[in-house]
Amino acid sequence: MSEMLQYEFMRIALVMAVLIGLTAPAVGTFIVQRKLSLLGDGIGHIALTGIGLGLLTSTSPVLGALVVSVLGAVAIEFLRARSRSGADVALALLFYGGLAGGVMLTNAQGGGTSLQSYLFGSISSVSASDLYVVAGLAVVVLAIVAVFGRELFLLCQDEEVARAAGLPVRFLSILIAATAAVTVVISMRAIGLLLVSALMIVPVAAAQQVTRGFRSTMLLAMAAGVLSAVTGLVGSFEYDLPPGPSIVLLALAVFVVAVIGGAVVRRRRARAQAEPGRAEPSGARAATTREAEAEVLGG
Amino acid sequence: MSKTGEIPFEMTGGRVKLDGREVLAGVDLRVEPGDVLAVTGPNGAGKSTLIKALLGLIPLSGGHTEIYGATPGRFRDWKRIGYVPQRLPMGGGVPSTVREVVSSGRVARQSRWRPTSAADRAAVDRALEAVGLTDRARDSAHLLSGGQQQRVLIARALAGEPDVFVMDEPTAGVDAASQGALAGTLHGLTEAGKTVVVVTHELGPMEALIGRTLVLEHGRIVHDGAPATTAEATGTAS
Repeated sequence: MSEMLQYEFMRIALVMAVLIGLTAPAVGTFIVQRKLSLLGDGIGHIALTGIGLGLLTSTSPVLGALVVSVLGAVAIEFLRARSRSGADVALALLFYGGLAGGVMLTNAQGGGTSLQSYLFGSISSVSASDLYVVAGLAVVVLAIVAVFGRELFLLCQDEEVARAAGLPVRFLSILIAATAAVTVVISMRAIGLLLVSALMIVPVAAAQQVTRGFRSTMLLAMAAGVLSAVTGLVGSFEYDLPPGPSIVLLALAVFVVAVIGGAVVRRRRARAQAEPGRAEPSGARAATTREAEAEVLGG
Repeated sequence: MSKTGEIPFEMTGGRVKLDGREVLAGVDLRVEPGDVLAVTGPNGAGKSTLIKALLGLIPLSGGHTEIYGATPGRFRDWKRIGYVPQRLPMGGGVPSTVREVVSSGRVARQSRWRPTSAADRAAVDRALEAVGLTDRARDSAHLLSGGQQQRVLIARALAGEPDVFVMDEPTAGVDAASQGALAGTLHGLTEAGKTVVVVTHELGPMEALIGRTLVLEHGRIVHDGAPATTAEATGTAS
């Protein structure tokens, strides 16, 4: 570990791993709740066209990816809101278009190898200036989650109720999609566009096996995200493995452990509930009704 | 007579078309402050559509509707409205505690930039107590029974301390204990002079509290007035 920290690129990579581990699951919790688990994948495909544009115009590929993926995310949100059935196919068209466009543009530029690094990640090639950009974006993402969290929670819970509470539903929907796009761009250098979505979804899937609440799921998912990202990175350095896949496989391992742990926790809870005192015999229903009523009227 | 700005809902000639079918076929309805109104009628009569149209969740294809004197698009004072949907959507699978769901009912009263206040927490406590779920506050909402989940949704609306409650089938598929609790909660609301619009198939224990009944058939109002007719329709055996 100390040997690893002697290299500047590893120090940068470690900070980056922590940032990704925190942001991706935080946004992912809302995405999973909204049943848009594949949104990150779609944005990843679209981002590729942005990278191609960035390379072709010799500007920043990260900037290109940021602009195109945010636009793509907004487009996805419009398609989603517009129709339930047609959106599915429309999304698929957008994804394939993004991927094919990206490959075509990078090919025109003649940068086949650099495309590889965006598809599967190459955290060791991240420079200090890249890190500043990523850190800035990560702060933006976490600030959005903190400030809009309550509204996004209600939106992801029930869109109609959110509307009847006067929330700006359209704006919030675009905000969550755009934030997901930014998160994809943050994570792509480390994990790669093809695996980026895994770190948004897998830690959340793991956390919800053992939690009861939304906030606790998000916090535990963030912890699992940091754990997977940092351990995956260290492991890839020690054993000379590709970092992106190492991080994702570790996150999946955390998920498997959580599934087993969750089964144990649930069995224990069920046993505790089956104990006398908590159970409600059906014969006592009428009495309970009157009690409940009396309680309500009294209060 | 009250000013238009104080009339919770006023619809004139309200029409709604869904997939080419006319679900509401010209509804005139004025809900007065303090009304406890039951919307009944057979399946597919347009009951849920009516209340969603009143709230602006479904756009009208004809006619006009206002919430406290403003069209739904221009209405801003949403904290006065408490909407209780039919079911707690259980999609996605991220668990939420009962308290988290109920707390989200405060959102119309909260500032984006301020943390949850003591007043917010107190309102959530009162709402949980009113529906008798204080001891389940830390449990996952989706693991509760159907009736308990319905009470969670009502508590969410209560937490927002609105003036008007709009409830969509709060008693459907709800066990006796929860129905009793619902009736108790409704009683508290009517005592406090709140306006209540409730869509329901069967009034059950709520019956005594209803002051006005609306019967819908094929998207039209066929009865609007005293609730006696529903008692006759359902039979006054007891």
